[in-house]
Amino acid sequence: MQNPGTGTRQGGSLAVSCEDLSFSYPGSGRPALSGVSFTLSKGEYVGVVGPNGGGKSTLVRLLNGLLRPDSGRVCVSGHDPATEPFEVRKHLGILFQNPDNGLVAPFVEDDVAFGLENLGVPRPQMGEKVAGAIRAVGLEGYERREPHTLSGGEKQRVALAGLLAVEPEILVLDEPTSMLDAAGRMEVLERFEALRAEKTVLHVTHHLEELMNADRILVLNGGELVADESPQRLLSDAGLLWANRLVLPVVPRLALELGLPATLGTPEDLAEAIFARAR
Amino acid sequence: MTSLGQFYPVASPVHDLDPRAKILATAVLVVGLFLVDSTAGLLFVAAALAALVALSRIPARAFLRLLRPVLLIVALTATFQVLFSQEGATVFEWGFLEVHTGGLRLGFFLALRILLLVGVAGLLTATTAPVALTDGIEDLLSPLKRMRFPAHEVAMMMTIALRFIPTLGDEAEKIKGAQAARGADFSEGGPMRRARSLIPVLVPLTVGAFRRADELAEAMESRGYRGGDGRTRYRELRFRARDALALAFTVLVLLVGVLL
Amino acid sequence: MRLELKDVRHVYGAGTPFEVEALRGVSLSVEQGEVLGIVGGTGSGKSTLVQHMNLLLAPSSGKVLVDGVDARSVKKSGLRRRVGLVFQFPESALFAPTVEEDVAFAPQRLGLDEEQVRERVGESLRALGAEDLAGRSPFALSGGEKRRVAIAGVLAMGPEVLVLDEPTAGLDPATREELLALIRNLRTAGISVVLVSHDLDEVAEVADRVCALHRGRVRAVGTPAEVFYGEPAQAPATVRVVSLLRESSPGIGAPVRFDETLAALRSLG
Repeated sequence: MQNPGTGTRQGGSLAVSCEDLSFSYPGSGRPALSGVSFTLSKGEYVGVVGPNGGGKSTLVRLLNGLLRPDSGRVCVSGHDPATEPFEVRKHLGILFQNPDNGLVAPFVEDDVAFGLENLGVPRPQMGEKVAGAIRAVGLEGYERREPHTLSGGEKQRVALAGLLAVEPEILVLDEPTSMLDAAGRMEVLERFEALRAEKTVLHVTHHLEELMNADRILVLNGGELVADESPQRLLSDAGLLWANRLVLPVVPRLALELGLPATLGTPEDLAEAIFARAR
Repeated sequence: MTSLGQFYPVASPVHDLDPRAKILATAVLVVGLFLVDSTAGLLFVAAALAALVALSRIPARAFLRLLRPVLLIVALTATFQVLFSQEGATVFEWGFLEVHTGGLRLGFFLALRILLLVGVAGLLTATTAPVALTDGIEDLLSPLKRMRFPAHEVAMMMTIALRFIPTLGDEAEKIKGAQAARGADFSEGGPMRRARSLIPVLVPLTVGAFRRADELAEAMESRGYRGGDGRTRYRELRFRARDALALAFTVLVLLVGVLL
Repeated sequence: MRLELKDVRHVYGAGTPFEVEALRGVSLSVEQGEVLGIVGGTGSGKSTLVQHMNLLLAPSSGKVLVDGVDARSVKKSGLRRRVGLVFQFPESALFAPTVEEDVAFAPQRLGLDEEQVRERVGESLRALGAEDLAGRSPFALSGGEKRRVAIAGVLAMGPEVLVLDEPTAGLDPATREELLALIRNLRTAGISVVLVSHDLDEVAEVADRVCALHRGRVRAVGTPAEVFYGEPAQAPATVRVVSLLRESSPGIGAPVRFDETLAALRSLG
């Protein structure tokens, strides 16, 4: 393991802690996760990257009790998802990859209310919470739309509204943009950025450019946590990137080749740096 | 674009009724129509239904389109009656085919009854949002919970089915297109061959549906779903005076129909 | 072969209140042996357009010409063989118990004998780097493997034009790069490729020509440099960087691909 915990924000209490987590799927010879430990402080925005089969989705499912670890322990807002899954699910919401398969109800507002219904929230309080969540993702006027008539980005925003309605402190985003086109991705990423101030976020993705502003990035490969780095250090470590099948986006790749820092994320940043250097 | 069982979203007094009142009224009519044994009685019920359709603000043409899918069945049933009934005076003969007045009457009667059955059910689904429909069914079935009947689960299954029917429909179209691009032909050959040609569509559709079901189950669980106990409902059902009136009106219409 | 669309319009649900005009008069050609990139946002008509290329959708008006001949006058099965269409997320149509049998579906429909079918299956799996998957179940493969097998299933018809609708959607970046390399190989093998993609960076790397669609119309068509420098706000990252520097360094040129761009930026010193 390389530089464990570099960049961890000091102070603040823990939102999530994982201790020495191991998990194997029944009938599989190779563990899906082995000996994974890390913590999320309240208010942190942490990315998770790594190749397919590296353990990312297993980790996500251990965090809310969809799976239980073979050994090790998870603690989410003071609760263990293996023994109190329903308590944990009030505090931690997961946004999955394919919104098409996560929306339950035939209308947008009914779907947003689904989590509240499950928690037994009294009806008089529901209307306001549903309306608030729909506003938070910018879908006012979509209340009576049917999910199958929405674009991918809109569906994912409905799914996000469904999570926000129950007001969890922690959001886990499980490759939420991988099924979306460029416009849908932008639309959804904007919402995540807006949530940063109030939530603790764990964002699993294949796209490093989505994590340029993250506090830390965890790299999972072969079921092990192989790095826990700041974006600056991860993006500049060509060997680490290559070993984990991570591909740098075009702008940081150009920047590195030109001997500039890899954290120049946008074309504007890079052009400015080149212009400044040429003068 | 309306088809059988599709919700027609406009505002009307009929749309506004409690779904439970509409479900009960529909059930009463569907059963009761088998007790109406005169054409005059059926025509009376038909007139009442026409009045309700007008009240529901669904354009008559859109409503009649609802009936189109069953026209073939209606035509077949009526033709059988017309051709095989020997009652009454002979209207005309052609070879071994004989048409009698009794046959004509019976054919018309049966055709009208089927159309009314479909029309009544169609009015229910056209004026009731799918979620309201399942909420209503859950509520009506809930007394059975004491007999361990899974009323909530049945309603949840219906809700999910309603949510995913259009999604799976789109998916089926897409897969058909993909196989057509690989040279599949769904219109060639006899019925057996056509059925076989659907295998490359049905297999991936089923595999996909199972994958969706898995993901949906994970998403539902993650959102705290744990069955019907302790659950509240977003949609409110309120049985008001006019719902009782609507139900009473239905029973009245049916009684007149039976007596006529 | 040369494929040409002439003033193609397409209206969904014509005559109903839900009528949508997806294509509003599109004229476009696919030249022999080129990679044509088609870009545009949601609702631009990309997916509708490609389904006209093998007449899976018929134009509401306008014509599709194959080597100058109206495609409606040639046999549909023949057209679909010559123009292979790979839908978005094509792995959702995999159905056979083994990869081999799945890829054999199309050549069998063509009425080839067993020997020829086997040859076609082998060739197309090799072209997609999937030959060692032949005996596996398509449902047990990884996302990237499924995608390659599904493309092989269309390639096995032996098409002259291969139309790929968002072939890299949902793949991780490393798998995407591998697939793009395979697409470049197809062109080397003499097959014309139509690459529909919302990812401008990937179109920039592989396309010989680019067609930009906007709301059912062709906004621009030409070389990648012509199209992307014509509208730098909707261009790949390379073009956006360079176009910001053009004012101060007019000699920088109009590079589009990554290596060209890097060379041009280095020359600025």
